Amino acid sequence: MKHTLILLTALMAQPVLAQDTSPQALIEQYSAAAGAAASPENGQALFMATHSGGKPDTPSCTTCHSADPTKGGQARTGKPIDPLSPTANPERFTDTKFVEKWFGRNCNSVLGRDCSAQEKADIIAWLVSL
Amino acid sequence: MSDIPTPFEGLVDDGHPVWDRFIRVFHWALVVSVVMALASGFLLDASWIRLHLVSGSLAVALVVARIVWGFTGPTYARFSQFIPTLRQISDHLKAGADHARHIGHNPLGALMVVALLALIIALGVTGIAALGSGLKTGPLAASLTASQGPLWTELHELAGFILLGLIVLHVGGVIVESRRSRECLACSMVTGRKEERNGDLVAPPRPTHLVLAILLISGLVIGAVVTINGLSQCPLTLPPVGPMAQVYGDVCAACHMAYHPSTRPAASWELMMGGLGEHFGEDASLPEETRIEVAAWLTEHAAATTDSKPALLWSDLRESTPVALPDTEAWKRLHTSVDEASFRQRNIYSRSNCIACHADAETGWFSPFQISIPKEPKQ
Ligand code: HEC
Ligand code: HEC
Ligand code: HEC
Repeated sequence: MKHTLILLTALMAQPVLAQDTSPQALIEQYSAAAGAAASPENGQALFMATHSGGKPDTPSCTTCHSADPTKGGQARTGKPIDPLSPTANPERFTDTKFVEKWFGRNCNSVLGRDCSAQEKADIIAWLVSL
Repeated sequence: MSDIPTPFEGLVDDGHPVWDRFIRVFHWALVVSVVMALASGFLLDASWIRLHLVSGSLAVALVVARIVWGFTGPTYARFSQFIPTLRQISDHLKAGADHARHIGHNPLGALMVVALLALIIALGVTGIAALGSGLKTGPLAASLTASQGPLWTELHELAGFILLGLIVLHVGGVIVESRRSRECLACSMVTGRKEERNGDLVAPPRPTHLVLAILLISGLVIGAVVTINGLSQCPLTLPPVGPMAQVYGDVCAACHMAYHPSTRPAASWELMMGGLGEHFGEDASLPEETRIEVAAWLTEHAAATTDSKPALLWSDLRESTPVALPDTEAWKRLHTSVDEASFRQRNIYSRSNCIACHADAETGWFSPFQISIPKEPKQ
């Protein structure tokens, strides 16, 4: 019994999102920094492509987020990942720090470098359009 | 202290009552519970532990009741009737195949009965000790340490093997004696009756103290339940730590389940937390102050601070780059019974996804009571 309770608290530990921003605000912010309008097509291409600059186990964003980001994905560890597209999951892109942390990590894992402001704007613009 | 049986003289009748109703129910219920306990213990994997505990407890309870009946039951149920003296044993052996026919247990059969009863009690004791030490469950959980787990488990297993051996001898003895005296001894254990022949050794009748037996047995049952419950409530020393505040779940359980600090030694956590940029092929780096906070919590509650079976299993993990537990010998040994294909199932996916099969993985317990391999989902 005691163990089940501990387990339940652990399972319910969802990240607390700051809710300090929105997908639209982020697109504007990133495209302003890049100095060009966001392109959903470029975002889609980057997201779907297979890259070779990053870590060998994670050649593409789709490795974990699946090729349809309105549906859930799965990390290499088996843990399910909620849909990445804000259309399917309104929690997405509502916490600046969280977004920055995961762009930082995932771009590094997949591309072997940080994503540029332009690329971030493109990707969010594509995800919003789904 | 044997009630000396005397040779029977008179009419041959084939309805002499030997095994009373309690003895017969006891005997066959014991056969069923012991077979289930042996099968679940030796043949099935750890996830069958519930069946094992239920059948094992039933066997012990039956034996306790049988012991009470041995002092209160009718003639042939009494220990005083059948426990042989050394002299009776040697006379019996000397007589060889020509020994007189005993209506109750013959001296060798009686020794077997005593050995079986004693061994089942020993299995109960070592079983409860193994449960308390290894699995930190039950009445002895608070008083035994996890490090004694392997010892008790081995003693319990050894007793199990001896019991298997005795059962083979017992069945063999029944077959040989049935042949010798041209009767079906196992059938008597169903009908309760034996044919009475001239020259048989018949014991003087003894009265049954039914009320006393019922009072004693219920008293023992109530006493055992109260004691076991009371002892099982005692707080454990050094159990695995409870979940860390939000931060651990946020930063370390996004890509996988929250691995419990007690599953690795402090040195292993330090090594892992010092190289998060290259974390099992991914970048898991953290802001410095979060990294320090998480590393401190992990090392503070690492394996050496915890008294549990998993903490012991991996307490001396040594590595130069962080290893996943499924790459350790201890893990492979524990999972030999698991089908390779299970790990590739979509809803398991990785051996490191412990929580897919161990519902309590994030508590650090990995109790066999909580193991269940999920079914492959249809698509
Ligand atoms: C190794 C698996 C993996 C890969 C590959 C991966 N991600 Fe992620 N991503 C995750 C996980 C895990 C999270 C955090 C868990 C969550 O939010 O459900 C996440 C979260 C994110 C977030 C945060 C969204 C939010 O809620 O604000 C963004 C943005 C993101 N990923 C983008 C990408 C992009 C772009 C790529 C490809 C360059 C990529 N990811 C590749 C596993 C991955
Ligand atoms: C595919 C399902 C599955 C996964 C994934 C899995 N286990 Fe197990 N585990 C089992 C089964 C089944 C047993 C019982 C095996 C037996 O008794 O033969 C077991 C037994 C154990 C035991 C011994 C329990 C006991 O007291 O007898 C430990 C400890 C354990 N696993 C730890 C782990 C850890 C740590 C992980 C993750 C790194 C893990 N397991 C992943 C299925 C799994
Ligand atoms: C970016 C994703 C990611 C993040 C964030 C992350 N990990 Fe991991 N971790 C992994 C992957 C991938 C594995 C390899 C497991 C597998 O193959 O399923 C792993 C494995 C592990 C293992 C070994 C599992 C085993 O089977 O023994 C431990 C322990 C671990 N991580 C601890 C941590 C801790 C502590 C943190 C927080 C500081 C953390 N992880 C954050 C991706 C991540």
